Amino acid sequence: MSRLLEVQGLHADLRLPAGMLHAVRNVSFSMDHGETLSLVGESGCGKSMTALAIMDLLPPRGIRRTDKLVFEGQDLMAAGASAMAGIRGARMAMIFQEPMTSLDPCYTIGNQLEEAILEHQNISTTEARERAVYLLGKVGITAAASRLKQYPHQLSGGLRQRVMIAMGLMCSPGLIIADEPTTALDVTIQAQILALLKSIQQEFRMGLLLITHDLGVVARMTDRLAVMYCGQVVETGNVREVFDQPLHPYTRGLMACIPVPGKTRPGQKLGSIPGIVPTPIGDLRGCSFRNRCYAAGPQCAREDVALREVSAGRTYRCLLSPEACAAETQGNWR
Amino acid sequence: MTELALKTRAVTKTYLVSGGAFRSRRRLKAVNGVSLDVPKGSVLGLVGESGCGKTTMAKLILGLEPLSGGEIFIDGRAISKMSAKGIARRVQPVFQDPYSSLNPRKSIASIISLPLRALKVGNRQRWNRQVDDIMELVGLPSRIKHNYPNQLSGGQRQRVAVARALIMQPEVVLCDEPTSALDVSVQAQILNLLMELRQELNLTYVLISHDLAVVEHIASRVAVMYLGRIVEEAATRQLFERPRHPYTQALLASVLTPEPGLGLPETHLGLEYPNPIDPPSGCTFHPRCPKATEICSNVPPHPQAEADRMVECHHPD
Repeated sequence: MSRLLEVQGLHADLRLPAGMLHAVRNVSFSMDHGETLSLVGESGCGKSMTALAIMDLLPPRGIRRTDKLVFEGQDLMAAGASAMAGIRGARMAMIFQEPMTSLDPCYTIGNQLEEAILEHQNISTTEARERAVYLLGKVGITAAASRLKQYPHQLSGGLRQRVMIAMGLMCSPGLIIADEPTTALDVTIQAQILALLKSIQQEFRMGLLLITHDLGVVARMTDRLAVMYCGQVVETGNVREVFDQPLHPYTRGLMACIPVPGKTRPGQKLGSIPGIVPTPIGDLRGCSFRNRCYAAGPQCAREDVALREVSAGRTYRCLLSPEACAAETQGNWR
Repeated sequence: MTELALKTRAVTKTYLVSGGAFRSRRRLKAVNGVSLDVPKGSVLGLVGESGCGKTTMAKLILGLEPLSGGEIFIDGRAISKMSAKGIARRVQPVFQDPYSSLNPRKSIASIISLPLRALKVGNRQRWNRQVDDIMELVGLPSRIKHNYPNQLSGGQRQRVAVARALIMQPEVVLCDEPTSALDVSVQAQILNLLMELRQELNLTYVLISHDLAVVEHIASRVAVMYLGRIVEEAATRQLFERPRHPYTQALLASVLTPEPGLGLPETHLGLEYPNPIDPPSGCTFHPRCPKATEICSNVPPHPQAEADRMVECHHPD
């Protein structure tokens, strides 16, 4: 069976007054039907840009290049603007971080849900309304029929995010791209929305590309993850492998930074990565993490570091051997 | 008895909200009888969902809003009898977003020294030296003194905000979500800084946060707030090990720790946070509570003190 999404050698550049910003550099990954993949990283690491590049939604100054971009057997690089418009929203849906700004305040949620399907499929408004009511029920909204007449401001943040999910599902897409879907919500609501997303994904066997900075969300939601830094993928693997034994010094640093109830001793000094994320502008040679890395040597500045494969699907981008990486204790970040 | 840096007694804040055209204005009790003790040198964590009144509480402590009832004492003195400047001398804030809480048109030195200048403490030469000292203390290089906020990274900006809060040597530093706008790796730097400074200068913090992992990490005591009331208050360790209020239990259960394989928690909390204009009868938590019985929907629970902790529930664990 063909894969759901295959991305190979994806680059996204932004033309800025200061020079060319290489927002996404040579990113490759693939997803199967019904699989969840997380893109993890701090702000500016290129995780959102990767999603936008896949959907051909880069800002006007953006340029994308790729060796291969195939979604459900269709070459997206060859697809024209109108073909892409037919795919976006229908086969590939996106859920954004801020449900307040991504719903139109001037239209009822019924209007907005129905539009999502009427745009793509030749069905009557009655059928569209039925589908909207069905999906609102699916995402746990009670009295769905009366909710259709409400405007976004009449709903709480958690409800709005549920409406966003229902809207994404209107055309039963093959892939949902969720960009920080719960960051703006309270912890109690976050757990509910994530559980909902997961059950719906399993029920409809959709691929879920989850973009987040929250390692807790990643651990609980995904099968595989890719850690991004400065536009590049620096580590990939199955969630358990990466959390049990992170290899790349950056991943190790991230794990040392977060207090974990029951594990980190209260008041103990947390790990921290010195310095700040560099802006990937201009000529980038060598490892982009070397200026913040405890293990960096002269070699790191000289050559570009390739992704090294430890086992199938488990890769990392560092000159150190896997044993040397794993031997560096987290104490290095304290 | 230990000296209290901050004491609140039955603090209440009521806002009048428009009830719609032709209807009378309605009362919204944002904070409803909050009593807290914060000993000198300790950290009080204030947690709860959005809309529970945490930020209103912060505004009251900072003297930015007048009290509707009750009293707040800072270092034993009632704030209703203090001038705005008097309060500013003793309580200083660190806000969530260092991108909007620093004036983009002022240099770093002038941002940090503003409290000194506004309160007319010392003279120009002393200000200069104090700015140098405080910048060193919070780990800012002195060469950025004449730079502007947009030239700084998020972590550095938050350090500027901390420096500005500390330059008056306040009794209480009020941190409202001090790290939630920052990246993970930078968040750890700022948390470490806050903890070091507390030990060095014996500071008192009120830490408002929705991130329970952060609260557990640095708070000495935690107060859980729901619809304007403190529903549980205990030492951090006790609260995390044995939460007694069902709401605290649900809050703790919904924390997603980075442990693969645990799956997603089921909190049984239901969808909606109630509307504070129209709070539920009896115990305000009862519509979302798995343990609610008849008494909960009729009679509001009273705070029950037990040893060193407090819980406000008819059926505590």
